[in-house]
Amino acid sequence: MTRMLRLVRLLIGAAPGAMMRGAALSVIVLLMGAALLGLSGWFITATGVAGLAGIGIAFDVFRPSAGVRFLALGRTAARYGERLLTHDAILHALAALRVAILRRHAGLDARALARLRGETILTRMIADVDALDGLILRLVLPVAAGLVTQLAALAALWWLVGPSVALTVAAVLLPGAVIVLTWLARRTLRPADMAERGAQALRRGMIDMIRDREALILAGRLPARETALTEIDDAARRDAATLDRVERRAGLVMSALVALAVAGALVAGGALVENVGPARAAIGLFVALALAETLLPLRRGLAEIGRLAGAARRIGPDRGRPAPDARPELPDRPDLAVSRPDIAFTLGPGQALALTGPSGAGKSTLLLAVAAMLPGDGIRIAGRPPCEWNEASLRARVVMLPQRSALIGGTIRENLTLAGDFDDDALWAVLDVVALTPAIRERGGLDARLAEGGAGLSGGQAKRLALARSLLPRPQILLLDEPTEGLDPDTADAVLSNIRAFLPDAAILTAMHRGQDHPVFDACVALSQPGSR
Amino acid sequence: MVNDMRKAAGMRSPRAMARDRIIAPVDGLLRRAGMLSVAAGLVWPVQAAAIAWAVAGWVGGDADAARTLTAAGIIAAGGILRAALDHRAGALLFRAADATVARERRALIGREARAVTGAGSAAIASLAVQKLPLLQPWITRYHVAMTRVSVLPPVLLVLAFCLSWVVGLTLLVAGPLIPLFMALVGMAAEQASRRQMSEIGTMNEMLMDQLAALSDIRLLGATERAATGFADRAEGLRQRTMAVLRIAFLSSTVLELFSALGVAMVAVFVGFTLLGEIGFGSWGTPLTLAEGLFLLLIAPEFFQPLRDLSAAWHDRAAGFAVVEELEALDAAERVSMIGDGRDAVPLPGAFALRLSGAVAALPGRRVRLPDLEVAVGGIVAVTGPSGAGKSTTLAAIAGLVPLDAGRIAVCGTDLTPDTADAWRARLAFVPQRPHFPDLPLRAWLDPRGTGADPWPALRMADACRIVERLPAGLDTRLGESGGGVSGGEARRLMLARAVMAGGDLILADEPTADLDGATAARIIASLRRIAQAGRAVVVATHDPALIAAADARARVSG
Repeated sequence: MTRMLRLVRLLIGAAPGAMMRGAALSVIVLLMGAALLGLSGWFITATGVAGLAGIGIAFDVFRPSAGVRFLALGRTAARYGERLLTHDAILHALAALRVAILRRHAGLDARALARLRGETILTRMIADVDALDGLILRLVLPVAAGLVTQLAALAALWWLVGPSVALTVAAVLLPGAVIVLTWLARRTLRPADMAERGAQALRRGMIDMIRDREALILAGRLPARETALTEIDDAARRDAATLDRVERRAGLVMSALVALAVAGALVAGGALVENVGPARAAIGLFVALALAETLLPLRRGLAEIGRLAGAARRIGPDRGRPAPDARPELPDRPDLAVSRPDIAFTLGPGQALALTGPSGAGKSTLLLAVAAMLPGDGIRIAGRPPCEWNEASLRARVVMLPQRSALIGGTIRENLTLAGDFDDDALWAVLDVVALTPAIRERGGLDARLAEGGAGLSGGQAKRLALARSLLPRPQILLLDEPTEGLDPDTADAVLSNIRAFLPDAAILTAMHRGQDHPVFDACVALSQPGSR
Repeated sequence: MVNDMRKAAGMRSPRAMARDRIIAPVDGLLRRAGMLSVAAGLVWPVQAAAIAWAVAGWVGGDADAARTLTAAGIIAAGGILRAALDHRAGALLFRAADATVARERRALIGREARAVTGAGSAAIASLAVQKLPLLQPWITRYHVAMTRVSVLPPVLLVLAFCLSWVVGLTLLVAGPLIPLFMALVGMAAEQASRRQMSEIGTMNEMLMDQLAALSDIRLLGATERAATGFADRAEGLRQRTMAVLRIAFLSSTVLELFSALGVAMVAVFVGFTLLGEIGFGSWGTPLTLAEGLFLLLIAPEFFQPLRDLSAAWHDRAAGFAVVEELEALDAAERVSMIGDGRDAVPLPGAFALRLSGAVAALPGRRVRLPDLEVAVGGIVAVTGPSGAGKSTTLAAIAGLVPLDAGRIAVCGTDLTPDTADAWRARLAFVPQRPHFPDLPLRAWLDPRGTGADPWPALRMADACRIVERLPAGLDTRLGESGGGVSGGEARRLMLARAVMAGGDLILADEPTADLDGATAARIIASLRRIAQAGRAVVVATHDPALIAAADARARVSG
């Protein structure tokens, strides 16, 4: 609940001005609707009375009829403005929230990043954030505007008609609405949350099934997985059906309440005819009729509370805008020094070092620590631990090719320019460096499309494309984790020589199993002690 | 001729596609719901008459309580009846929409993993989960609104004409403007919906890939760039959504304007008539107060069905956009697996595998596979330059890609849809890229769910220490591409899984990639052990050590 309140504040805070104007307009819309019906009813009845009494000429018809026209047009305009303002403000807030979630995840360390599951965050960023528009548009605003309007309408009835009519309408509508809506919110809390969870589980499950299809087919488990997903869907739809049933039942009771309030206003008004005259006595029933508009739309929002609470929980706390990075800028042409009990070396511009050791000895961990993606002792870049340098300046000079790099769906060009804007000549130049030019030309050049996750290239080609991508920014310290894995020995040798020629001044640290005797390396250091990761 | 037919098929209007696919199966339910809803709408004139009758009574001077109470009773009972009818209609409509979404979803679940298209998994999941529900408002609102429009406004119009031809004429003129305007807006709305829909899919797709590549993005120093790119995308989606909403709001505003003006004109006319300032417009006898009130009360209800229909017009536009996507996905080019992917009794007979003249059919590409023969007890290495089709060869042996020509003979029969499942039950596959589903290791290692002890298989693949080192051991859930273990460790875990799957044949795609010389040698040794234990091993590799260790070699020429 506190989470939801915090989100309400966050969403409204994104565009407080627009939101407040929208809220004011939504009250105006409802008030004008009640006034319109009340005034028209009064006007017709009053003209009828005047006509019968033969005093038609003396009756001022212009002000009421102008009022009717003003209210009719004003309400229409106010409604348009209200909808546009609130929707635009909320969509702005949601777009900003999505970006904030992406940023929050991008700032995690290497280990947390490796454990991330794309489907999970995707549902969080899409479905959960989408759900939140209901929090303002269907819950907070309508409830607040409905309440204000009801109270204002009751005060007006008290003053114009009489306390008995006002109290009759209030006695039916207010407690009735509170009871029905509370019942609705309670009964839908669970099914709304469960239906949403089911939908998200289905989304994750479908992504997982399609991505994992080969393994499922080979294990003979595909039909079983399909059945499991169908069952998830069935359960989610059962919850949705419960939700619909409860919501419709609440709608039935609320419609009946409005009819009772109108009937009550008619009876109470009938008793007042002697005192206030028929025209004013009739106002109550027309206003009660109009108040339906303040009540009936509320049930959607209240039935959503369960879903909203779940979404708020999954999105988690928002830490607000990240503080500006106050760490010092990494100077140009930095050097790298590692001094640990198990390994020690220094690496300056223009030097290259091969890092060897058995699987699991901690080569990748060391590289990730140098890249400030994991904590690590004994590492200095330009005399300071990597994580004490300003992130942007560090990334501009230190680039790492991880062991399993991911490509994205899209063109070759889009994959390469993930790191920045480069012209075609620069792109072809790095493709030459990694000996991919013929293969890419054969596929149709830079605009050839790769499928999801970069599928469509062989393992060796994908590795080289990722390598090309990390060479493009011309880093001063280049960290390569198994850059030649999946390449035949001749290509591997050529690629290593090309990299050196392409970045003659870079300090290059390369973790590798084979080929460490290549002439580009000035030295080779071995990590022997296992279990450091 | 063929071209003409295709053209005819392509020109099928979204309306026709939607009718056949979505509406026809639930037609009966929609009809019943429509009738109930019309009945509910017909209650209102009765309630309106009761109100008019009671208030007119007050003015006439005989404000007796009985008349007021009777009217109040009619209003209350009518309101409850109306609510009950609407409630029932809502139940039928929900059922219709639910059945439709369930049917379409089931079709997607049962097809998309069997035969893959170029569409990404995130886009398909968003179609199934996020977009299919958009059919619901269309199904539940549009048809009922249509039925109501065809009955309620005419009935109210006749009632209005009976009392005053001026009021009838006012409604008659203002009413038809609404559908006219609606048709104009409808076209713009459809286009805007389609653009919004495709933006949703692209954004999902892009996000899914960027999330998977998040650590690469950070290492490239591209976090800000990716966040900005995504912010642009999110902003684009907001604009497209606002474009749809603006059309929707504008059209509903204009319609509200028509109806508000219509009602205001009726009110003013009735007022002036009752005052006696207007002497025309009714039939002979002047309009009474009761008649005037009645006209005022039914005027908004005359416009309401028309406004509902125009609101539902946007739901229909969104529904059409979804149907078009479904149809496009139906028509997409697919790479189908062979067989069913079902758990099957292993193919009987002595193990044998021979490829002769086989050509794999990939989208837009034919890959000639090498001729080869595999027997138990040996390792066959498929070699060749990067990208020539080594992995495709293994996939074809596993029945994951269809053949265009040639044949694959297995255990004395051919690899066909009928034998593929049983054939797969005799083999295990180690893919090139690790992908770990969201399962604990224990379940993942045991793909056939035998419940057997995983440790012997882990020992065979040299992977015991990896599992022992994980904080949660066999209950660990690894990241999608094996986050939590190193590249070499992921490879060894996948080998253990293949060993555990049993069968006569292990297909391994680059099994020694990512492994240092010593571990690679151990893996080669365990592959040899597996072969000597009476299994067949086919590897795709360019590791000279592994090629040297193989008993036979087959080269893919591309």
